[in-house]
Amino acid sequence: MERLRVLVVEDSGAMRAFVRAALEEEMNAEVVEASSGLAALARIPREEVGLVLVDVNMPDLNGLELVAFLRKQPAHESTPVILMSTESSERDRQRGLDLGANAFLSKPFGIQELCDVVRRTLADG
Amino acid sequence: MTDELLASDEASSTGSFAAEQTHDVLAFIIADEAYSFPLESIREILKHKPITPVPRAPQGVLGILSVRGTVTTIVDLRAMLRVHAQPATRHSRVLLVDQGDEIIGVLVDRVLQVVRLAPDEVEGTAMVSGDLSDYVAGIGRPRSGRGREAVDLLILLDPTAILRRSHGA
Amino acid sequence: MADPHEEFLAEVQEIIEALSRDLLLLDQAQKDGNQQPDLVNEVFRGVHTLKGIAGMFGYQRLGALAHSLEDLLDDLRLGRVQLSQEVLDVLFEGVEGFQRLVGEGETPKMDLDAFAEAIEGVSASDSEPLDGREYDLEDAVLSVLTEYEEHRLRTNAAAGLGLFRLRVKFGLSSIDSDLESLKSRSADKAEIITYLPSADAAGDDSIELDVLLASSLGTGDLVSLFEVDASALRAVPFRAPPPPAPGPVVPVPVPAPVKTRDTMPPVAPEPSLVQQPEGISLRGVANSVRVDIRKLDHLMNVVGELAIVRASVTRLTERLRNEEETRRLASDLHRVGRTFERHLEELQTGILGVRMVPLGQLFDRLARIVRQFAREHDKEVHFSVTGSETEIDKLIVEELSDPMMHLIRNAIDHGIESPKVRELAGKDPIGTLALNAYQKGNHVVIEVDDDGAGMNERRLLETAGRKGLIAADSDSDMTREAILDLIFLPGFSTRSSITDVSGRGVGMDVVKTNINRLGGVIDVQSEYGFGTKFVITLPVTLAIINALILEVDGRPYAMPLASIQEAIVLDPSLLRTVEGREVITLRGQTLPLCRLAELFGSSRPRPAREYVVVCSAGARRLGFVVDALEGQRDIVIKALGPTLRDVRGFAGATDLGEQRVALVLDAPGLLEEVLRPAELPRLGATP
Repeated sequence: MERLRVLVVEDSGAMRAFVRAALEEEMNAEVVEASSGLAALARIPREEVGLVLVDVNMPDLNGLELVAFLRKQPAHESTPVILMSTESSERDRQRGLDLGANAFLSKPFGIQELCDVVRRTLADG
Repeated sequence: MTDELLASDEASSTGSFAAEQTHDVLAFIIADEAYSFPLESIREILKHKPITPVPRAPQGVLGILSVRGTVTTIVDLRAMLRVHAQPATRHSRVLLVDQGDEIIGVLVDRVLQVVRLAPDEVEGTAMVSGDLSDYVAGIGRPRSGRGREAVDLLILLDPTAILRRSHGA
Repeated sequence: MADPHEEFLAEVQEIIEALSRDLLLLDQAQKDGNQQPDLVNEVFRGVHTLKGIAGMFGYQRLGALAHSLEDLLDDLRLGRVQLSQEVLDVLFEGVEGFQRLVGEGETPKMDLDAFAEAIEGVSASDSEPLDGREYDLEDAVLSVLTEYEEHRLRTNAAAGLGLFRLRVKFGLSSIDSDLESLKSRSADKAEIITYLPSADAAGDDSIELDVLLASSLGTGDLVSLFEVDASALRAVPFRAPPPPAPGPVVPVPVPAPVKTRDTMPPVAPEPSLVQQPEGISLRGVANSVRVDIRKLDHLMNVVGELAIVRASVTRLTERLRNEEETRRLASDLHRVGRTFERHLEELQTGILGVRMVPLGQLFDRLARIVRQFAREHDKEVHFSVTGSETEIDKLIVEELSDPMMHLIRNAIDHGIESPKVRELAGKDPIGTLALNAYQKGNHVVIEVDDDGAGMNERRLLETAGRKGLIAADSDSDMTREAILDLIFLPGFSTRSSITDVSGRGVGMDVVKTNINRLGGVIDVQSEYGFGTKFVITLPVTLAIINALILEVDGRPYAMPLASIQEAIVLDPSLLRTVEGREVITLRGQTLPLCRLAELFGSSRPRPAREYVVVCSAGARRLGFVVDALEGQRDIVIKALGPTLRDVRGFAGATDLGEQRVALVLDAPGLLEEVLRPAELPRLGATP
């Protein structure tokens, strides 16, 4: 099976380090990181990834905008996208799903929960 | 690390030797007596180099040496063992002994060999008198015939006790 | 790759520092009556991130605290709660709590329940309903907005501000700096609501975005503010007639991804917005890297070893030079050696530079303490800071935090009077506490200067006498400086009642010891009725210092040059004995002497020729008598092992090469030991 390549878009370095460690160790995934929505935007058309994890609240481009943008890219019409945010933003969660995100992860989440959601999302896609 | 080493690690840190296991120790001579440290506490054996004395250091501390950039404290066990000081000779060595929170250099007159002691070759500290019992973890009585320099009596020293002593002095 | 947990701790620290900074700005803005939605949102985002990562890394209590603050901040940024001093108090206390929870490794010392009540107290909703004005934005845009962004739109619409779409183009390699430039241009003239990428936004080397911004400026002003072509800016009209009041958004379930390729307006190619940003600092966080200081220590050790190798090469070169047939080779080698040395110096300077951090990091933290403390003690304090950009070794900054905090608390608690008392004394009711930092040669000087009550000499003497720190009759012959220095004696404290501050068991003697340990000195100046100034002088770095190598009793020692005033040959005919101590008169001033060999317990006969190394620490001077001077060189100080750490008089040791190790003398410590405490009153009196 081909190795899974995941783009993690998240402005917190600690969060990225956590997700990277979890996905690398538990799922043998290859993780590429973007530290802001704009940085992700710049590389998405070029990036061949099997999964995108996006934080909703980022300082410049928010995660919803990124999902909307992603879905407009022919290459990423069906790339699985998981949004990450806190339980407090129920409204943002619904919007994310409306815009085409496949799943939603509430922070904080554990390694197991992360891997479960990733596996389920990949299986559905 | 093997179970055996883990077990003897524990034994040396509590200062007593448990029965039922063999002990690898490094034997050396200070003032014509044979002593030893647990082998796993020895990090390195250095040839004797000029030691820089530290004024006002605790008793028993000879001074410092630079070991690859790290300043290492060197102690002389003679003061603790109550034997007279002697100048270093070409046989003198510095043992780098890991005592947990610090690696300390111990000056010895001569390094003998590694001795493996069977459980029945180790005695408790009952025989050791007064002062010495503070740093002695036991007495080794290897049966003769092994090794090139036969030793018939070895004092097993507890490295952590020596650190306590140099602190307290 | 960095260890996630270390990454976590570093990020928490960064967030706490940023929060402190932003809260102080908000505090100022609130006092000035300004609204700062961007700042409130920044604070929200910081706390939000903290909450998320705390939960992931098992810091449940930290996470819980962040959660409760997040809710309050969410209310604030969505306008449901108004910013007030009471709210700021709670926020500051929350940041304090973060610091404690992360520092104590989750030891439950903080009462979270009490804090939750405090939050409850200020959370009472008191927002005013916004009128129903709205901008006419297409649904594709509205659907990607977060709740907060929607709120900002409503707020700006209600305030009658214009909404604009600004088309910009960012270079792929310069996104961070382009963004920075855009933000600094908008600053307080326009609020950036969000960024909207077009479907084909990402080109080969650039991306195109619409920036949604609200501003009171007109189109013309904005065009010139952003220096763009008029066609890059479009005004978004208000929606008319006003729709029903905005209620909760009803989610519309959309099973498949929405394809809205055609919803963005057609885009005419525009000149790049930020081609040549000018005069703006573009150094963003993206350009920095966190480094474990132990790695730098290791690199510094390597540089030290290289310096020793270099010295050996020099000696070999000398030997080659002495042989007829290798002389040419020797001079070639000498040249190569010089080049090597130059690069080595560069490397050393480079590594040292990486260790340097601006004092501003520390000052920001202190500003938070000042505010909180002044409020607790009902004092009005204007806090001013200069020289935040002064750089100093990171290790020194970390060790400085406690002593500085203590000085600041002292200044507010004991120094600055209550507004009423100040007014009675004819002073401005608002006290001033100034932190001034500047570099002076190889030193950094930090002043803590207050315009409070100052110190009363008579009371200092009384206290010292009562506590048996000085002889009862010694006051008559003590200089003012010597009297002020009494506060640094162990066991000295002018307050009989233990306040919350001094109750922590930290006295000025500990402050002094901590500063001395860093190779620094602290001096105090004070005028009764007018204020007190502490002056701390510190080395710029601990890693490498310039030292004089000298000889005592046949052994080499290193004396940091920073402590040395001069070195002279001892003229035995100038020696006098005053009250049992040897002194000489140097340029009209009496200089007490200390024979290092004897201090170190040597009983050797004194050599025929001796030298005096004159050292100073703060205002005090002492001459160390030594056997020989070997010369000056850069040394890397290595710490002594735990067994020797308590031996007085040494700051560490250094490898001189050729199997020679020299002890590094701790000049401030030795001065302290030799001149204190019995000698102080008498020395103070020496003319």
